[in-house]
Amino acid sequence: MAPVTGKLTRGDLNRIFVRTLFLQAAMHRRGMQSLGFLGAVGSGAGRVTGDPAALLARHNDHFNTNPNMAPMVIGGVLRIEEEGGRGGPASVSRFKQACASALAAAGDVFFGGGLRPIALTLATLFAIYRFFPGLVAVFVLYNAALITVRYRGLSFGYARGWGLIEAFSSPRVQRALVLVRTGAACAGGLLAGVIVTGAFQRGTSALATTVGVAALAWLAARRGIPPWRLALAWFPVAWIIARLLH
Amino acid sequence: MHDLLVIAIIAAVLALDDRAGWTSLAAEPVFSCLIVGLVFGHVGAALRCGVALQCVWLSIGAARGSRRPHALVGGVVGAGAVCLSLHKTGDPREPLVVAAAVFCALLVAEAAQWCDARVGIGRERWLERFRLPADFNVATRNVTLYSLGSALYIAVLTAVLAAAGLFISIRLVDLIIDRAGAEAGMLSLWMSALPAIAVATIAHAFATRALRRVAALGFLLAVVLSWLL
Repeated sequence: MAPVTGKLTRGDLNRIFVRTLFLQAAMHRRGMQSLGFLGAVGSGAGRVTGDPAALLARHNDHFNTNPNMAPMVIGGVLRIEEEGGRGGPASVSRFKQACASALAAAGDVFFGGGLRPIALTLATLFAIYRFFPGLVAVFVLYNAALITVRYRGLSFGYARGWGLIEAFSSPRVQRALVLVRTGAACAGGLLAGVIVTGAFQRGTSALATTVGVAALAWLAARRGIPPWRLALAWFPVAWIIARLLH
Repeated sequence: MHDLLVIAIIAAVLALDDRAGWTSLAAEPVFSCLIVGLVFGHVGAALRCGVALQCVWLSIGAARGSRRPHALVGGVVGAGAVCLSLHKTGDPREPLVVAAAVFCALLVAEAAQWCDARVGIGRERWLERFRLPADFNVATRNVTLYSLGSALYIAVLTAVLAAAGLFISIRLVDLIIDRAGAEAGMLSLWMSALPAIAVATIAHAFATRALRRVAALGFLLAVVLSWLL
């Protein structure tokens, strides 16, 4: 890893990183991740500025972004504050909100729409086949990716400072988002295929039930009805049908 | 009582990861049910419960803010109900026991989400009352205390919800098993149809033309592999 240049040492960044792991511990509607942000920034504030209390006061406002991308913003803010907050507190605040919004969108697509679906669909596949090493591998690899993105993101943000947003406008980032989303779609198709072929192997009635339920659930999803409510409602319906048939 | 306490502790620890930590996937049903299965024995049955719940609650959308039921409490309670029911009764109709436990898990998850939203208002109000002190050391200490307090609140609430849910679920599972005579076959069919919901979720989540093609490719790959192997 590239050596850290600036007032914060690797040890300081490690301490800040540990704080970022619990960014959402005090999440609330009005400030969202504001308290977590203050906790992380506060552990490095004393090193980057002569007036850490004023730094905390400047950043005691609404903050919300993808939690895996938040360390990047925190690193960027600490660098800017270290450099004296060129442009004044208002421009630092605008930078912070702009980064938070941009990284929230990218993070949600990358993690929420890509990496997490890949992990969950593969984990479900391995669980269907009772392949425990696969389950463990998915868990370990997913968390390794998460921790790596957070840790390196903090250093990246601290290294870039004001240049953080430009770094995320590059075509490489867009390609990575498309790649991970494509991977998620492939893994999803794989899981769907396993479910349908499993039903086919159990017999025609199982296949017909699976296809029928999938179609109904898909229609419900399109109309904004959560599919788990359908699953709940079907249980008593199945019971009543069984009673009537008996 | 001892079993309820163990389930409560597992739920509390997983809640710390899921709501206060870095969301490591341990709170997802497929993993939480595996953990409960390992603790209580009956790993196979617990994992079947976890797979069914994961398929129903497959969270693969990109949007934040969309609310699932309380999957953590549901998963832990479902697996706990399966394991404890099999332990107590030794009922050979394992598919029926798992189906009953999955139904209880779905119910408990909805109830837990409702309770969490209502009771969580207290935590929200407490956090919104936070005022940053002027002194830096006092400020950092207060931020830490608020974060710890909020995490503890989440852990305790989840533990209580899980324990209460399991207490009710064990009795409900026993009731369903006792009453299910001819209905057992239909309930097992209900259970086997739950993964179809995951198919619908996948089709809905990857609805653009490009992603649909890739998903279809994955689907074909699964079909070919199952035919070959």
